[in-house]
Amino acid sequence: MAQNEPPDSVDILLKLKVGIEVAGPAIYFTDKNNLSIEGYFSADLNERRALYFSGGYSDFKYSQYNYSYISKGFYVKAGVDFNLLKPATGMGKYWAGIGLHYGLSSFISETPFLKYENYWGTTSSSIARKTDWGHYLEASPGFRAEIFRNFNIGWSISLRKLIYTGTGKDLKPIFIPGYGSANKSFSTGISYYLMWSIPYKKIRVTVKEEPPSETGEQEEP
Amino acid sequence: MKYSLLKILLVFFTGEFLFMISCTQEACFDETNAYLKASFYLYSTQKPLAPDSLTLYGTGRDTSKIYNKTPSTKQALIPLNSSAGSCCFIVRINGVSDTLSIWYTSYPHLLSQECGYTYFHTLDSVAVTKNIVDTLTVQLYAVTTLNGENIRIYY
Repeated sequence: MAQNEPPDSVDILLKLKVGIEVAGPAIYFTDKNNLSIEGYFSADLNERRALYFSGGYSDFKYSQYNYSYISKGFYVKAGVDFNLLKPATGMGKYWAGIGLHYGLSSFISETPFLKYENYWGTTSSSIARKTDWGHYLEASPGFRAEIFRNFNIGWSISLRKLIYTGTGKDLKPIFIPGYGSANKSFSTGISYYLMWSIPYKKIRVTVKEEPPSETGEQEEP
Repeated sequence: MKYSLLKILLVFFTGEFLFMISCTQEACFDETNAYLKASFYLYSTQKPLAPDSLTLYGTGRDTSKIYNKTPSTKQALIPLNSSAGSCCFIVRINGVSDTLSIWYTSYPHLLSQECGYTYFHTLDSVAVTKNIVDTLTVQLYAVTTLNGENIRIYY
């Protein structure tokens, strides 16, 4: 195969991407108490940045010997995704970077049953259904790749910081849609995406020449 | 640079591994009971002094003692009844009995997903007979799972 000269510029297709998160439905097949459905949309602003928007629905149930808990509701996230790959590497097909998002959830929570035991015996009670809001920030490093024409797969890790729930310190939510386990003010998760992309604009990006390497390494064809 | 399908799959399954290790359920290691913490002081010196013997039980529950002639108890952990607004206890210090009455309000508190709920309390008032106890003071009105000193019993 002939060695190509490195190009001075590359053409990048800016795309609109629409996708679905598939880990949530996959988990639901093994755990019927945890349903999460999420849709995803992004629009490339340039070869580095893309606007990000996602929304979803979550229905979480949990039960153990001393209480049961229900949380369900909708959430939206918005922010910017940054591609850290060089344009000549990504070519508009590969993405390795980080997304910075703001998340907002509106959810209802209820504790239909709780049991507390001590010296005086057993107290059984419940906590009525109420509506709350959850606000959080999310950093999502990850990878995406176009495996077929205009079809992408990818995954991202989510590192989330809870900002505000408005529930008070005694009856904090156990689970916030879009945020996950609210035990702590910091949560993690991972998402798998299937995405369809629609090219809407072609831009030409100048590729900066790197200083010549002393070792004279040759790039693989 | 051309990415091979193998590299893409490697990236994909690395993510799956991270997902699997992120789903570990934890156990409950927290304190799940909110006790009223009562410290014992010698009235004549106003300094902490554990009784030689402490017996404590709820009135009408003398067959179920919380402390039974227990020596050297610096701080007694007294469970409150979350189904009632008040509790009475028999406190026997060095063989002499008094009755301790406590009025409070209770409310549920989520400890964690693993531990579930407990009940916290806010003290309204306390009273004690004065056979061996001289005075009783409230130091902290919030009865929670945190360490602290809710009342002082001077004897």
